[in-house]
Amino acid sequence: MPDEPKSPELTMDELRARIAAAGVTIPENRLNMVRKLLGEALAPLRAVDSRTIRPLEPSVTFDAGGPHVGVRHE
Amino acid sequence: MSDAIAYTTIRELGARYRARELSPVEVTRELLARIEKLDPALHAFVTVTPDRALADARAAEEALRRGDARPLLGVPVGHKDIYLTRGIRTTGGSALFADFVPDNESTVVRRWQDAGTVLLGKLITHEFAFGLQFPGHRFPPARNPWNQEHIPGGSSSGSGAALASGLLHGATGSDTGGSIRGPAAFCGITGLKPTYGRVSRAGVMTLSWTLDHTGPMARTVEDCAYLLQAMAGHDPADPACSTRPVDDYVGALDGNVQGLRIGVPRNYFFEDADPDNVRAFEEALGTLRKLGVEVRDLTIPAFNRSRSFMLIMMSEAFAYHEGDLRRRPELYGEVLRERIMTGALVTGSEYVQAQRLRMQTCAEVAEVMKTVDVLATPTTPKPAPTFKMMYDPEIAFPRTNMPPFNLTGQPTLALPCGFSASGLPLSLQLSGRAFEEATVLRLGHAYQRATNWHTRRPPV
Repeated sequence: MPDEPKSPELTMDELRARIAAAGVTIPENRLNMVRKLLGEALAPLRAVDSRTIRPLEPSVTFDAGGPHVGVRHE
Repeated sequence: MSDAIAYTTIRELGARYRARELSPVEVTRELLARIEKLDPALHAFVTVTPDRALADARAAEEALRRGDARPLLGVPVGHKDIYLTRGIRTTGGSALFADFVPDNESTVVRRWQDAGTVLLGKLITHEFAFGLQFPGHRFPPARNPWNQEHIPGGSSSGSGAALASGLLHGATGSDTGGSIRGPAAFCGITGLKPTYGRVSRAGVMTLSWTLDHTGPMARTVEDCAYLLQAMAGHDPADPACSTRPVDDYVGALDGNVQGLRIGVPRNYFFEDADPDNVRAFEEALGTLRKLGVEVRDLTIPAFNRSRSFMLIMMSEAFAYHEGDLRRRPELYGEVLRERIMTGALVTGSEYVQAQRLRMQTCAEVAEVMKTVDVLATPTTPKPAPTFKMMYDPEIAFPRTNMPPFNLTGQPTLALPCGFSASGLPLSLQLSGRAFEEATVLRLGHAYQRATNWHTRRPPV
């Protein structure tokens, strides 16, 4: 089943909601910059249906020589 | 001191030491004087360590008299100021650590010390390897020796500026999204981001655990090979550090690149590129073809999603800095603070999905690397911007060509390949298979034997 389509743009309302949820303070005059920064970073995720990403395990214990990296050369 | 000595290669320096034409103490004194003369304008150094440097130089001189053959003996170096140095202030380029004197040191610092290097001092970094210092910051940013109105790149900015100015012969850098390769590109020097896990990060301040790399910066590929040889290898203190044996990087520089296959990803890396950068890159490909390298165009669609690396970097940076950011936010530069704070706005789900996309990128690139030996791109799409441009508070985080290889962890070299019409250095980026630093260095060395871009000097 595909994901619900996401809004490609990070709106100012969504940004404010995220700031409130995170419990951080960002000055009003910096919100545009933060929206741009986060919006650009999120854009690739919002452009794909996450369930179609090949089922490779996310790796937070990143082993450079191990199978998670994908680039293996024996 | 003549410029010829300030800019000599590590191999030549060692040969002249052993021929008794130069001594480490003499070279160290001369470089300290050069730093005193040039650095007030360049701001490459945060801390100069003359007593330590002269002690190291005397020890090297003594070792040379005993016939010690270590190739880095008496070679003057500096460390990016996120590498902990026992008894020497380590600021991270931040007011938060302005007076921090560690009682331990990073593995790489110790390894270079064991190799007989001479420590001249600590080199300015963008604040916590992430944020250019704005006017009024406790630590002024380094200037680009080619044109001081322009940034030297970051975050290993002091390393790049000092090497280009002939203030030392080797430096450490770190690279999370291009912080070795960017300063190498903008300062006209050479820098290598090794494979993730090839060089220890123990005792180096963290920006992003899964993207941080440590590596060497120098003026030539050969110098980088000597420096990498003395820093690579397993370190149990860094859980990501590989146990694979270390190759002979200097021995690999045999000049033979006949038959090597280069792939040029024609998507992503040329978007909005400056014509000067494209011209220099295409000319570099022409040189490589003449050396017998096969060059073919490719498309790697996964690279189009590289911008998601920011989700990983900012989330991990926030995780590292959260305590200090909440307790002492006033000690962070304003722009840096907001960049890191943005990491708090990334959801857990988004962080996981960004890592999953990353794994897909790794898998896609691994398939491509079965058909080519090296990927080549321009290191940056444009020459160094001015400070005036970068001080625009609306600039979020400029798009560059380097983060894709932080995502994949591949060894990636940046080396000079020309100049813009305005006289700023331009750079070629070569990326190999994981743990194949030797191939990338061999190709880069062959290119430098065929060109002289790396021998040009800035007007300092």
